[in-house]
Amino acid sequence: MPQIQLGLGVDSTETIINVIKMFALFLLMVQLVPLLVWVERRGSAFIQNRYGPNRVGPLGLLQLLADAVKFLFKEEFRPKKGVAFMYYFAPVMALLPGALSFASIPLSVPIVLKGENWGPYNFVLQGYDLGIGIVFILGISSLGVYSLLMAGWGSSNKYSLMGALRASAQAISYELALSLSLVGILMVYGTFSFTEIVAQQQGPLTFNFMGTQQVWNWLPNWGIFFQPLGALLFFAATFAEANRLPFDLPEAEGELVAGFHTEYAGFKLLMFYIGEYGHMLVASCLLATFYFGGYNIPGVTPAEVTAFFAGFVGEGNLSQILTAVTYHVSLLLRVLLFLWIFIHVRWTLPRFRYDQLMDLGWKTMLPWALFNACATAVILWLFQK
Amino acid sequence: MPMSNLVDVGLSHYLALSAALFAIGMLGVLMRRNVIVMMMSIELMLNAVNLTFVAFSRFRDNMDGQAMVFFVMTVAAAEAAVGLALAVTIFKRFREVNIRYFEHLKG
Amino acid sequence: MTLTAQDLLFYILGGLSLASALGVLLMTNPIYSALCLALTMVSLAGLYASMQAWFVAGVQLIVYAGAVMVLFVMVLMLFDLKSEVKAFSRGAVAGFMKLVAVGLMTGAFLAAIYNSADTLLGTSLAANVDGTASTKALAQMLFGKYVFAFEAMGVLLLIIAIGAVALSRIEGGTHADE
Repeated sequence: MPQIQLGLGVDSTETIINVIKMFALFLLMVQLVPLLVWVERRGSAFIQNRYGPNRVGPLGLLQLLADAVKFLFKEEFRPKKGVAFMYYFAPVMALLPGALSFASIPLSVPIVLKGENWGPYNFVLQGYDLGIGIVFILGISSLGVYSLLMAGWGSSNKYSLMGALRASAQAISYELALSLSLVGILMVYGTFSFTEIVAQQQGPLTFNFMGTQQVWNWLPNWGIFFQPLGALLFFAATFAEANRLPFDLPEAEGELVAGFHTEYAGFKLLMFYIGEYGHMLVASCLLATFYFGGYNIPGVTPAEVTAFFAGFVGEGNLSQILTAVTYHVSLLLRVLLFLWIFIHVRWTLPRFRYDQLMDLGWKTMLPWALFNACATAVILWLFQK
Repeated sequence: MPMSNLVDVGLSHYLALSAALFAIGMLGVLMRRNVIVMMMSIELMLNAVNLTFVAFSRFRDNMDGQAMVFFVMTVAAAEAAVGLALAVTIFKRFREVNIRYFEHLKG
Repeated sequence: MTLTAQDLLFYILGGLSLASALGVLLMTNPIYSALCLALTMVSLAGLYASMQAWFVAGVQLIVYAGAVMVLFVMVLMLFDLKSEVKAFSRGAVAGFMKLVAVGLMTGAFLAAIYNSADTLLGTSLAANVDGTASTKALAQMLFGKYVFAFEAMGVLLLIIAIGAVALSRIEGGTHADE
């Protein structure tokens, strides 16, 4: 019987830990959705000067549990003329890009766990560490367009099809601006991998200026100080990629009767929402990782944090685990701030018309992204001298 | 074929896969009558060629193969764009994309 | 003898790409053919990644599976064709000759590969590099040795864009006579 070697771990214990970690990451993404929906409904209510859901559970927190139960018991139907396979597969396909992308982002600092009997394990809170992180995520999110197309076609409904075609045209237009705005970050940090980009954002602001190396201690070494225009373009392009207002014409309520998910109800619609919020979550994590230092806490290094915890609980695994938790919480704070900004913008700005949207993508953001890439290249070349 | 040929995947295995994909693409161009499916079969043939290039680049330790893949991909994407524009124009005029309506030169 | 992960990856991804390529050929509904071709491209991207060609795999996903195939699927959805009644070429004799011809060609390829397996073995395997190093080597080649072809590709893409826009502005349409 030929032996099969996979790359999941050096022995069975590490393999089991890694498999559990991947499940936990997927569940993390899915469990963030009820929280986000609650924030959206209460936050939008306060913006619109009304109460949101406040009856079910304290502060209305169990509202989505009630909604999920309602969705589970709804009648499960499909349009008779539609293509059954595509109608059922599209919501599943909506989950895949978000989950695959979320698993490849490092969520905490790498720690080393060791015991008496089991050897030193390097534990990173990351599903898999690809050497080409950025290119992988761009490729996977361009595959997310297929779920829109399949949903529109499988519904056998003219409005759904129009919504799906508009959505896919918008998605591929803004993918260009997204990729080009990331080229600036690639040039500054010189690597594709997320762990290295986050590791290079430690410490205070350091750069070469006219031959001397300047260190500004009062600013952290974050990407946004190197690429302000790139950050702005990336931020705007991810709104378009996630089909969020002000770019949400494909799901426009009141125009296309809910667009490509008109004919979906019940649990399949919930899967589309999980996919959309998952996309938002990945966009916020990428924004934090590239431009805001990832999980780094400005002012301290991981060794100092471990020593701080070792003062309380002694050396060993517990101080390492507490260090990882602290860094994870620091990343989560940034990510939750960006998610709140996503939700806030949705209920504040009006929607773009379709031709305004395409004009913005091709005639404004693409030239600015190209200019950003060229300017970054010129500045890097000048200041390396 | 002895079992030891199946493990230890080498260059020949990748070339055999690429030949099979190329053959399927060629059958698609010859046997299908829809203009767009014929164009998709041409894309399949170009992908098989890309696989050959990358396999040689890997097993001969030569980066030229991957550079060729770049150019093949660019040309294929450009040809797909123009082919689709032509197909849309034909459909606008004739409302048919089955080539049995276009088999005879107009004399 | 051990079956490594590399072998398993090759067989799974290769089998998937062959199966979906057969789907492209055999499905009568052209939208199904397009989706099968997209699956073929994704599995080919996986094969490139298993061969340490990381950047080529990423570009295959972004350009081929994410843009070209989306364009194909969008155009097919706009056409709204019914499932083809006459999807394959008519004529039994002609069809048989086509199959025989393609079969002979494939047989010639496979025989050549099998016979030259000895010279192909024992080749120098490229070292396992990570994404950034292989991309750097690829970029140096593109901007060094093949810079003329690279610039020519840029000009080609410009011409294609202008041509596609010019084609789409031809007057007339399905409702032009009404």
